[in-house]
This record gives sequence, C-alpha cells and structure tokens, in this order.
Amino acid sequence: MNETPILRAENIYYSYDNEKSHSLNGLSLEIFRGRKVAFMGANGSGKSTFFLCCNGINRPSKGTLYYCGEPYDYSRKGLLRLRSKVGIIFQDPDDQLFSASVYQEISFGILNLGVPPEEARKEVEQVIDKLEITPFRHKPAHALSGGQKKQVSIADILVMHPDIIILDEPAAALDPKHTILVNKIVDQLTEDGITVLMSTHDVDYALEWADEIVLLHEGQVLMHGSPLDVFTDRQVLEKTNLAQPAVLQLFESLCKKGILDASLPLPRDLRTLEGYIENIQTSDQTHSKTIKRR
Amino acid sequence: MITIDMLCYYSRLRYMNAMEKFTYAVLTLLFCVVSRSLAMAILVLAVNGILTVKKGGIPFSRYGHYLMIPLAFLILSTLAVIVNISPTPFDAFALPVGGSYITASYASIHKGVQMILTALASVSCLYFLSFNTPMTDILSVLKRLHCPDLLVELMLLIYRYIFVLLGISFSISLSQDSRLGNKDFRTSMRSFGTMVSVLFVRAMARSGALYDAMEARCYDGRLQVLDEQYPPKRKEILWIIFFESLLLIFTIWSRVK
Repeated sequence: MNETPILRAENIYYSYDNEKSHSLNGLSLEIFRGRKVAFMGANGSGKSTFFLCCNGINRPSKGTLYYCGEPYDYSRKGLLRLRSKVGIIFQDPDDQLFSASVYQEISFGILNLGVPPEEARKEVEQVIDKLEITPFRHKPAHALSGGQKKQVSIADILVMHPDIIILDEPAAALDPKHTILVNKIVDQLTEDGITVLMSTHDVDYALEWADEIVLLHEGQVLMHGSPLDVFTDRQVLEKTNLAQPAVLQLFESLCKKGILDASLPLPRDLRTLEGYIENIQTSDQTHSKTIKRR
Repeated sequence: MITIDMLCYYSRLRYMNAMEKFTYAVLTLLFCVVSRSLAMAILVLAVNGILTVKKGGIPFSRYGHYLMIPLAFLILSTLAVIVNISPTPFDAFALPVGGSYITASYASIHKGVQMILTALASVSCLYFLSFNTPMTDILSVLKRLHCPDLLVELMLLIYRYIFVLLGISFSISLSQDSRLGNKDFRTSMRSFGTMVSVLFVRAMARSGALYDAMEARCYDGRLQVLDEQYPPKRKEILWIIFFESLLLIFTIWSRVK
C-alpha cells in the first residue's frame, strides 16, 4: 500500500516498573485511516497500555510511534496537537467524568483546544443531540446509569473531532440495550470517517464489526489480520485463550454434517448463517413438493 | 444517594438564574444577621418557606425535617444563654436550688428567642440556595465572583468524587456485611479499618486515572468548562430588588431605633 498509515508503532517497549517487566514488549503495527480495528487478548496483554501510548500518556521507553508518518513529538505543544487528533474513551466512565454536570463535562475537551466559547457551545449542543443525551442532560453525573455515563464519556471525546477514537472495552458492564446503543454510535463514528480502535473480549462482536483484528499476547502482536483469518487459526486462539465465535463453530459443525456446503464463504454474523440455513430449507421444501407430486 | 443533594435537581426553581438565587440568599442572610430583629426573622422564615415549598416544590415535611436539625441544636445552646444560676431570682421564673436559684429574666428569654429565630432564618436562606440550586451552578457563580480558580476547581472535583468514593465505600461495606464482617463490635471495628485503608488506596488510584483521562483531553492545568445558561428574568430581579430594599429599610430602622 502506498498510503501512509495514520498510526504506526515500531518496536515499542513500555514498562510500569522500571524495566523489571514489560507490559509492551517490542510491539509493532500499522493502522490505516478509516479502519475498524479490534484489539483482543487476555487481561494484561498490553491493550490498555498500548492505547495510553497512542494518546501520548505513556511514553514508550524504546521504539517509536508515528502519527501520519510523523514520529510522536512529546513536547507540550506536540502532545496537545496529538491528543486533539487521537481521543481515548476510558473503560470506567467514573475515571473520566470529573464534573457532576453533563454540560460542563462535555465542554471541557473542546475548550482545551482553544475553541471560542460561543462556537464550543454549539458543538456541545450538537453532540448532546447526536448521542441522544438530551433526556438526561440535566441530571448530575452521580445519578446517571452506567450506560448513560458511557454515552457522556463518548461525547466528551467526540466533541473534540478526533481522527482516531480509541475505545477501551466500551461494552464492559453495560446492559444489552446500552451495548446496542454504543455499537450504533461506534458505527456512526466509522461513517464519519473516524478510525476506530477498540479493545473487546466479545469474539462474536469482533468478527461481525471489525475490519482487522490485532491479537496481543504478552505485549506483542501475535497476529494482525482479517477477522476470518484470525478466528480460523486455532493455534493462535488457543494461545490467547479466546473461543472461536459461535457463528463459525456452528457453521463448521453444519458443514461436517453435510447440511451446509463447505465451499460457502464463511459467515461473519448470525444473519448470514441464518440465510444459508433458510436456503436449504426452501430447497428441501421444493424437494418434498416434487416428491408429493410424484 | 444523599437526599439533600437530590432535592435541588427536582426543584422547580432549579432553572432560575443561579446568580439571582445566590444574590437573594446572601443579601437576605446578611440583613437577617445585621438587624437581629424578631419580626424580620419571622418574615424571612416565612418568605423562604413559601419560596422553597410552594415555588420550588420541595415537600413541606422534608423542608420541616431539615429545619428541625439546627433547631434542636439551637435550643440546647440558647438554653445556656437564657438560664442562669444566680443567688437572686430574676423576673421570669426562679427555681430555688440549695442557696441559689435557677432563673431567667424576660429580657434574656426575649433575646434567646430572637437568637433562635435569627439563626433559623439565616439557615433557611442557605437552605433556599442549596435546595434549589445544584452545586455546579453555585460554583459557576463563585467563579463569576472571582473566587480563586484553584478553590472552585477543587470544589468541582471534590463534589463529583464524594459520590464516586461514597459508592465504593458502600459496595465495600456491603460485601463485608455479606461475609459477616460486622457480626460483633470487634469485627466491625476491624472491617471499618480495612474499608478506610482500601478506600484511601482506591482514591489514590482514582486520582491517577482521572489525571490521565484529563491529560488525554488536553488538560493544560486550567479546568475550563462551560456552564449552561439560564438567563435572568426581569420580573424576578425586580422582586428581589423590592424585597431586599424592604429588608434594608427595615434593618436601618431597627438599628437607628
């Protein structure tokens, strides 16, 4: 590819305890603009550490990160510029929401970018409207549900119009309704041309949603490829303790039984698989009809 | 979680301009304390009661309950001022105890009642503010009054984190209870101790995480935020001016007299 990756990590190392053990152990990868990338791996495999590196909070002890081909500039100005482009939504909204007022909370990031208050006000209103925060915008943060806090924490970042949005386990501790809502918001982000990096433990969702999957293991990239490539590689899955997505398991056993044709393209979601199954049923029905006619 | 905090979010006066409410409460409080007049205290008490209960929609029982809290304390402390132990009896009443009297004068009773009512009226001013104004609005008023940024920012963070830490402590003590952590005095003392230490460690971890999250949003040492604006209404301002000038005249008159 001739395009420069929007984000590139080159052999980065990071340690929380003065080089005694490394959370990132020579991690290298490239991410291109507009992609949806799922980061997977066991707890402690370095997902969150890497995300904090992307945002310039953690500075790798060795190796270099590049944003649009330019190496990270850790001067005060450089960091501000970087953070206005790379936004991160933390796993626990309580770590992120510092104000009891939703409106104040959302306005913080955009004011830090030096946007004049009047313009910032418009942006805040827009994002409140877009993320459906209006019904609880006047509630204090401590009276919001987990899902509502999540919506606000996404709005916090979205209002800054970053090029890359990083979500650290966005679905953690959310009920199904809010998980769907957050997923819908994430899809919107992609439509707006934002590159989305997301860590998740949900293999089914990752298979359906992601363009690429990065499997991390002990601070290194174990595998980086399309969801179907990653999820059909049993060896890699076993090493990272990930189960194969249910759809793929089901498809495989249906193929083994000879119910489905193994030459069909691998399904990425339940709907596709259901479609396959529906097709057999109709062909069965026509078959039985032909039998009756005889 | 804390009812006194939740009240203001349901108040019908919540969306009134915070500066108006703040000015009203502070000026009224000031006049109340300066004049120390019985009539004025009763007037202020009544007006604040009507504003909070009738206009604000705070249930009367709840309002009454919160006024009772300082009342009990006030009565106890004024009792010491009113009642004397003296070798000679005063005019209001006198109970002979041994060689001296437990006694009080009409003047001191009048003074005591006046003190109680003035204090209660002052409290009602502050209640009016806190029952009808969310903390964040009060902070934005303080900011506009050029209260030091550091102080306002600290209060903003503290207010938010009171609830976060309260939530953590609540879930810790719940999990302790479910494992018989409070079965007798000894264990409950121990459980409380561990909870406090864990809470401290958690608070430290939280503050680190919060700082990272703020840095990630280009925090530059100043906590800049926008407030929602509820523009002041001319009618309300006129009423406040009218009421406060009334109190001012009354205060001057009572002082001169």
